[in-house]
Amino acid sequence: MSENVAAAGHEHFAAGEHASGHPGPGLYAIIAVALVILTLMELAVYYVSFLQPLLVPILILLAIAKFLLVGGFYMHLYYDQKIFSIFFVFPLILACFIGAALLMIFSALEGRLSF
Amino acid sequence: MAAQPKQLPLEHSNYLTSEPGIYSWLTTVDHKRVAILYGIASLVFMLIGGIEAMAIRTQLAVPNNTFLSANVYNQMFTMHGTTMIFMVVMPLELGFFANFLIPLQIGARDVAFPRINALSFWVFLFGALFMNFGWLSLALPDAGWFGYANLTERYFSPGMNIDLWNIGLLILGISTLLSGLNFFVTIVNMRAPGMTFMRMPMFMWAMLVTTILILLAFPCLTVGLIFLFLDRFVGTHFYLVELGATPILWQHLFWLFGHPEVYIMALPAFGMMSEILPVFSRKPLFGYAGMAYSMVLIGFLSYGVWGHHMFATGMGPVADSTFAITTMLIAIPTGIKIFSWVATVWGGSLRMKVAFYFGVAAVLEFTLGGLSGVMHASVPIDLQQTDTYFVVAHFHYVLFGGMMFAILGGFFYWWPKITGRMLSEDLGKLQFWLTIIGFNGTFFPMHFLGVWGMPRRIYTYAPGMGWDFWNAFETASAYLLFITFAIFGYNLIWSLFYGPKAEADPWDGRTLEWATPSPPPAYNFEHIPQARGRDAFWVDKYGVMVEGHGHRSMPAHGETSGAGVAAVAEHHDIAGHGTPHMPAPSLYPLLFALGLVVGGIGAMMNWIRIDVLAALLLFFSIIGMAFEYPDHGEEHPHQDPSTYTGVDHRKAGMWAFLGSECVFFACLISVYMVYKPRNVGVGAEVLNIPLTSFSTFILLMSSFLMVLALAATQRGDQKWSTIWLSGTAFFGLIFLGGQYYEFSTLFLHDHLSMQGSIFGQTFYTLVGTHGTHVAIGVIWLIVMAVASATGRAGKSRALSVEIVGLYWHFVDVVWILIFTLIYLMRSVHNA
Repeated sequence: MSENVAAAGHEHFAAGEHASGHPGPGLYAIIAVALVILTLMELAVYYVSFLQPLLVPILILLAIAKFLLVGGFYMHLYYDQKIFSIFFVFPLILACFIGAALLMIFSALEGRLSF
Repeated sequence: MAAQPKQLPLEHSNYLTSEPGIYSWLTTVDHKRVAILYGIASLVFMLIGGIEAMAIRTQLAVPNNTFLSANVYNQMFTMHGTTMIFMVVMPLELGFFANFLIPLQIGARDVAFPRINALSFWVFLFGALFMNFGWLSLALPDAGWFGYANLTERYFSPGMNIDLWNIGLLILGISTLLSGLNFFVTIVNMRAPGMTFMRMPMFMWAMLVTTILILLAFPCLTVGLIFLFLDRFVGTHFYLVELGATPILWQHLFWLFGHPEVYIMALPAFGMMSEILPVFSRKPLFGYAGMAYSMVLIGFLSYGVWGHHMFATGMGPVADSTFAITTMLIAIPTGIKIFSWVATVWGGSLRMKVAFYFGVAAVLEFTLGGLSGVMHASVPIDLQQTDTYFVVAHFHYVLFGGMMFAILGGFFYWWPKITGRMLSEDLGKLQFWLTIIGFNGTFFPMHFLGVWGMPRRIYTYAPGMGWDFWNAFETASAYLLFITFAIFGYNLIWSLFYGPKAEADPWDGRTLEWATPSPPPAYNFEHIPQARGRDAFWVDKYGVMVEGHGHRSMPAHGETSGAGVAAVAEHHDIAGHGTPHMPAPSLYPLLFALGLVVGGIGAMMNWIRIDVLAALLLFFSIIGMAFEYPDHGEEHPHQDPSTYTGVDHRKAGMWAFLGSECVFFACLISVYMVYKPRNVGVGAEVLNIPLTSFSTFILLMSSFLMVLALAATQRGDQKWSTIWLSGTAFFGLIFLGGQYYEFSTLFLHDHLSMQGSIFGQTFYTLVGTHGTHVAIGVIWLIVMAVASATGRAGKSRALSVEIVGLYWHFVDVVWILIFTLIYLMRSVHNA
């Protein structure tokens, strides 16, 4: 890195972002508030009776949203090299596949799922 | 023990002579020395596994034989399979060959985590010895290498036989996972400049895919073994039908691991064959890209075929059809490989060396095993062949014909590089031909015996079944096979003392390990080489490939492009140092492994004090390793210029570990969801939602504190770094306190126990395992907070804080899923 680029980079980070390329405390706080709100929404969905028919899809969507916020911002997948996302997302897909396959096989065996 | 990294002089001593004395071997972290340790241990276990095989064959030589009792026979075939898979084939391929060759073939000086490499070996050794402990009282594991439930339950197997197998496999699994993680990061991160993925030797491709399989398959076995451990020691019923569970669950978890495991053993062998055949055919590997992609495809598909081991369990027509199709599909990339090997040899200028013999034989014998394997994709045929000697014939053609032949070829090919001595070609050829006769004589008739109805795992049989002659023939052939290994052992020992000294490049090789002296120096390369093309060393010696007649060929031996080996010396050292820095020896890996096996003994014998001692030893070893190199230099938190990808090894390793953890928790959560609808009695309705909602907020906020700690560390703000790290740990402790209160209330007030209901056992196991992860994270955070407070985790060590943060956030995201699926969806019957 040339001196000019290094100096420009330093100035940029000094303005509010981290030298590591990660977000600063301000954004972290916003994410924390979002996580609290999403959890409150989960509880609301759980306790509100007329939402019960949609309980499963709504809760899964909210959990995914929280998962993405923590993974993307607190674990910095959104900012870091994409190779880390590959390391994490591929096993995650495989994990979902294993879970879905086991559930389907046992549900079909017990007559709770028919093809 | 607080040794500093060594700065080695550029002298010409090799890795075997650079450090004298036994202590240097006990504390070594040099990948080549660790490989030697693996090699010696594996060969000893190969002898034990061979003796077990001979005992089996002797018993079956004649009808109604009384050489072994049924009980001892069960122990012999169980330990033969377990030994050959976990203590011979895998450690030889991964621990010996891959360990020795990965850094050399990618142009690196060592693996990414040298101490973890040593740790893997010691854990492997102690785990293997632990499992063989039963020899002392002939109480060896006796339920098959697959350990089918419910044979393994305490009620059916009250002795310590299965305890040894269960705990031993858990210990061996830790070793394999650590090796997989280490080699994965090494291959991704430590390749020499210019060595893109598509320039890697094929053995490196094989190892890359193998390590991914290890990381993502072993967690399934670990979960299955944890359930078995709980069944045997805590009184749960994961595999017993009493409370609504099913023994079939074990088969799913085992084969979810077990079939990728087949490829964990096969792919390194494929890689070795792909290295040996081109060199002795004097042609480049045919269809390099196709070979590489087929490895990836095999790895991918291997996760979708586990059910073909379970057709006889009655999974239903849809599952049967799905697994039949995926099993047929996986034959396609395997066929591509076989075609490419044949095309590589076809038209080549063949050099008939022993390594080449074994390489060609491996292709042929493996193809036979593959053909009988594809037959099992057909459900009706499989139902006829299941549990007969046809299956024994099939997997021995794959495991011995494919893998062991490749391993033997690998010995003859790389032995000169490893020891600096040549093996005897004459003895090798004698061994080869006798092996061909002995191997096929032993296993080929098993196809017929299987079709004629001889079941596997029977300890004897009545005369007049039509099996007598071929069983006697197989036993005689097996003895011949045993003799061939005696010849092999003699050749190895003879070579060490009397073998001709090996040149650096005795086979006119293609890959970078042949650019080093034989044996290589401790630092491997004086200067880090640069890969200028595929077959990097060949390109350095002879320049680019000769193009013509529609295919590429290599120049004849001795005919060079003029560039010569000297080209290697032109390469720059990417670290810019004149002398290589190598990691210092460490005793901590040995101590950690000792702690692990002592803990295993304590658990098996229910000796709490021994377990406490083991925990202290483990903690001391981890802390010792963590702070062994206090001045190990500046970290590169965002971009590490010394690695191929630009990312730090530890961060890459942590992400790979978290990927493995995804599969681990997926198995736990899946079992909870599979078993939940089967529950009778106290169930999810007793869960305390307000309490766990509070715990959820606490854990989410702890993640917030964690990122603040990281930001403070990156700023160099020691005070706030310490405060936020301590705060994160404190919130973690609050979470654990909440979980303790929840468990106590459920147990005492709602009478929800691990033994009393299928819901209780899956709930406590899943949530408790997560709690254990939180507890480990809290200890880690406290250590980091102390390090920060004492100035040992300053700005230059921000990456260490980031890594503990990644672990902590992962624990958080797992809780997000548990809170939703287990707590908030408690009233949903099917979830």
